[in-house]
Amino acid sequence: MSVAIIDYGSGNLHSAAKAFERAARSMEDPQRIVVTRDPEVVFRADRVVLPGVGAFADCRKGLDSLDGMVEAMTEAVRHKARPFFGICVGMQLIATRGKEHVTTDGLNWIPGDVEKIAPRDENLKIPHMGWNTLDVIREHPVLERLPLGPKGRHAYFVHSYHLNAASESDVLARADYGGPVTAIVGKDTVIGTQFHPEKSQRFGLALISNFLKWKP
Amino acid sequence: MILFPAIDLKNGQCVRLEQGDMARATVFNLDPAAQARAFAAQGFEYLHVVDLDGAFAGRPVNAQAVERMLQALSIPVQLGGGIRDLKTVEAWLAKGVARVIIGTAAVRDPALVKQAAKAFPDRVAVGLDARDGKVAVEGWAETSEVTALEIARRFEDAGVAAIIFTDIARDGLLKGLNLDATIELAENISIPVIASGGLASIEDVKALLAPRAKKLAGAIAGRALYDGRLDPASALALVRDARAAA
Repeated sequence: MSVAIIDYGSGNLHSAAKAFERAARSMEDPQRIVVTRDPEVVFRADRVVLPGVGAFADCRKGLDSLDGMVEAMTEAVRHKARPFFGICVGMQLIATRGKEHVTTDGLNWIPGDVEKIAPRDENLKIPHMGWNTLDVIREHPVLERLPLGPKGRHAYFVHSYHLNAASESDVLARADYGGPVTAIVGKDTVIGTQFHPEKSQRFGLALISNFLKWKP
Repeated sequence: MILFPAIDLKNGQCVRLEQGDMARATVFNLDPAAQARAFAAQGFEYLHVVDLDGAFAGRPVNAQAVERMLQALSIPVQLGGGIRDLKTVEAWLAKGVARVIIGTAAVRDPALVKQAAKAFPDRVAVGLDARDGKVAVEGWAETSEVTALEIARRFEDAGVAAIIFTDIARDGLLKGLNLDATIELAENISIPVIASGGLASIEDVKALLAPRAKKLAGAIAGRALYDGRLDPASALALVRDARAAA
């Protein structure tokens, strides 16, 4: 079993890889974590992870600069039904469109637009940086036994935009930051988090472990 | 072997497409319910219905036409097109559809098929539509690099009623079924396989009843029934004779 983490010049690659390695090591049946720029490796992977930090359009450009990568991801995830985990902008890229400064097409795996968050309270700053609890919107295998809800553990956010999903059933969890913020999305064999599981300590590792165990 | 007459719905009408191309649609009947009744009167025992607009939209679009057909019919109906979540599966089965066909979602979301087949054993079929052996999704607008067999294997032991295998290159062109590919699929899985796409004449029906096709559970007839190339009475007589001999 191999887990391909796509290296397309995005910032949180190494911390993401470390977190996946750590989660994989603690499993009964360890999975091999591979950081790669090779579409062939992604095509053959059993799971695919897309990290991402920065602006939507820049990340899309970075992904497109790897010849054949979007096609390999589409085959692996959308046709071979391999589980996919998008982190932060890596999650935003699977939306229909990004609306950060300019409108950029996403992969449209989860219908919806990536829009600027608009906290009601003017004292709440943008970007939103910090630790928040998550409220479950829809049960999902990757959320099993996670400490969620107001008394649960915290996830680490740093972002100004979030995925405003067209269908409520694609939202698995939300945070509150002067209004609802999409925290986890899920559809078909795809999940994504706006927060950084690799920086969310035990909670993040538990989520990654659940993803590595998930057999959709 | 069951011979299924097909009713494809577009804008509430009964149409046939060529190679799945919505721009190449011929309207054969403005009243799908009347068409369904006519097939039942001819002696067909199971009807195959596809909501074409639904397949493209990813949700049921011709629901009213389907419901009118269900009310008009006493024979069972299998329905596909735009069925991509458990709620839609449940809703159609509750409305009297005998079995639902899951296509695109079987490729993208195998868990849905497994869940649905577990909840409704023998009432969930998987529709696999292939172009040059590779499966196509989204109303056939998108082709993959995955073979029908790879996807069919996901559902071994899941309680799936049937795999409906369509050769897109032949569909609506009356050039005969792609029996070789269909038989190969049937011989490599234990789920019953139904052949579709290109059935043109009584010769195809004979080929379906030949010993080498014995693993096929049925076939779908479309355009050939509408334009008169395939006479329903003689086709059904062949099927009955073969059944009596078995």
